[in-house]
Amino acid sequence: MKLLERLFDQTRPQFEPGGRWHLLRPLAQGTEAFFFGASERTELAPHARDPIDSKRFMMMVIVALFPAFLASVYFFGLRIIVMMAVSYIAGGIVEVAFAIIRKKDIHEGFFVTGFLFPLVVPPTTPLWIVAVGVVFGVLVGKEVFGGTGRNLFNPVLVGRAFLAVAYPAPLASGYVIPGDWGWGRLTQYITIADTDAIAGATPLGLGKQGEFGGLWDCLLGSISGSAGETSALAILIGGVFLCMVRVANWRNVAGILGAVFVLSAILQFSDPSRFGPPLWHLLTGGLMLGAFFMATDPVTSPTTNTGKWVYGILIGVLVVVIRNFSGWVEGVMFAILLGNLASPLIDEIFVGLRVRRLQREG
Amino acid sequence: MSTAPLDPAATAEGCGGCGKGFCDGKGRAIFKETSWTSNPVAVQTLGICPALAVTTRLENSLVMGAAMIFVCVGSTFMLSLLRHTTPRRIRLIASVAIIATFVILIDQFLQAFYWEMSRQLGPYVGLIITNCVVLGRAEAFAMQNKPQLAFVDALAAGIGFTTILAIVGFFRELLGEGTLLGYVVLHPDWYTKNLVMVLAPGAFVVMGFLIALFNWVQQKDVQGS
Repeated sequence: MKLLERLFDQTRPQFEPGGRWHLLRPLAQGTEAFFFGASERTELAPHARDPIDSKRFMMMVIVALFPAFLASVYFFGLRIIVMMAVSYIAGGIVEVAFAIIRKKDIHEGFFVTGFLFPLVVPPTTPLWIVAVGVVFGVLVGKEVFGGTGRNLFNPVLVGRAFLAVAYPAPLASGYVIPGDWGWGRLTQYITIADTDAIAGATPLGLGKQGEFGGLWDCLLGSISGSAGETSALAILIGGVFLCMVRVANWRNVAGILGAVFVLSAILQFSDPSRFGPPLWHLLTGGLMLGAFFMATDPVTSPTTNTGKWVYGILIGVLVVVIRNFSGWVEGVMFAILLGNLASPLIDEIFVGLRVRRLQREG
Repeated sequence: MSTAPLDPAATAEGCGGCGKGFCDGKGRAIFKETSWTSNPVAVQTLGICPALAVTTRLENSLVMGAAMIFVCVGSTFMLSLLRHTTPRRIRLIASVAIIATFVILIDQFLQAFYWEMSRQLGPYVGLIITNCVVLGRAEAFAMQNKPQLAFVDALAAGIGFTTILAIVGFFRELLGEGTLLGYVVLHPDWYTKNLVMVLAPGAFVVMGFLIALFNWVQQKDVQGS
């Protein structure tokens, strides 16, 4: 660490305005900020700062995502690590390019986008498709709106939705049966060429045909699915941690999971042969990952507490509707994107109501 | 100007020799204004409907653009000739009737000689009747200007429209099908077709980037001058 610090200290002048590499300043700054906290102090009052700045915020998310990441490597093999690297490099190039054009520092938000993206695609997605998806997500989902904090949609889901519509065939054939207990697939590297032999339909896909698998497998993660969404337990550990440190707002999560649970329960009561059990709906597909890590994105969700409830319930209802009554197998992605779309409206309504109440009370 | 009473003599003035070339020396300025500075699609965002609908292939875009140029030039020229004899209160009906005449001409022509293309373009050739680009040029320009100026203006609008459609069509066909004008460019052996580009969202994405590019270049122009 000491060595690294000295390296940064020595090379910093090169990146300052006038230095040799000044164009690459955002890159150097970003790398340094990744390893060390910001060294400069604010120049104007107030000097007291809450330790939770957006960098800590994002690092918390990555820490919380780690169980899900480890689970995905355990169940689907080393390829997930390679996908992660591709995601960081491809998305990072876009991010750095925009930071250079705008002459601003790299925003830490990208560390989450790059980390989350490989976890929402099938485990054997061709690497170039991962790259295309993350580039599209960062570019169209975020940068064209003006960068982090101004995006209307969650960049990860924009990239994922793009891939879902653009390359349906490679994605659909990318699902794999997870490794067995013991060493899992920890030492294996599975590509799309091998998946003909070991391709595994996802529980939601089977559910469409009326086969609802065991809940225990869904909870632990020995089910087929996108890389990071396989183990509901691992996501829950990270997600609950994220809610406890108040990086994610529990109202969003509770709204979604509650609405899905209640609605699926009603549906199953009406026709148990066609609709899956509520707990099964909670534990399969991308619902956990989406609810804890994507719907809680503070930029694209409403700001008021009531708004968060409405937003969560809206997403939950959409998930159930899309899963049970449409041609798509999984609806979490579209549901959250539609929720993102509604969130400015929700804010408008609830902030307006609050303002009016305050005015009335004088 | 268009409130002027019916005066047959006034129409003659429309075609009067100006002595300063084809169009009073204003042609170039008008052409640049209508086709570039206020491009009908990329700047005024008019005519988005066909620009999204028929641009799945470069060929379709070009044929649509050609039909557009024909209708736009023909009808606005005609309207400009009649601008003093058209009572102001019924000018919209008159414009639509004239535009519709040209649209039916080109639509019948395509159906007779290029049936396959006509089928692919579907209702969008017929819908040129209600296209804001044509009606906009008719209302905003042809009604107040001499026929030769209206001709240049309509040609500029048509070419501006066609260029944008061709660019969108180029990218959508190339990325969506791997072909250009039907010839294989990106071979299916190593190129995976991007199905978004074939669907409407692809048109929105390409169009969005194109509009952004237009804004960026024109902003630079303004700053530079």
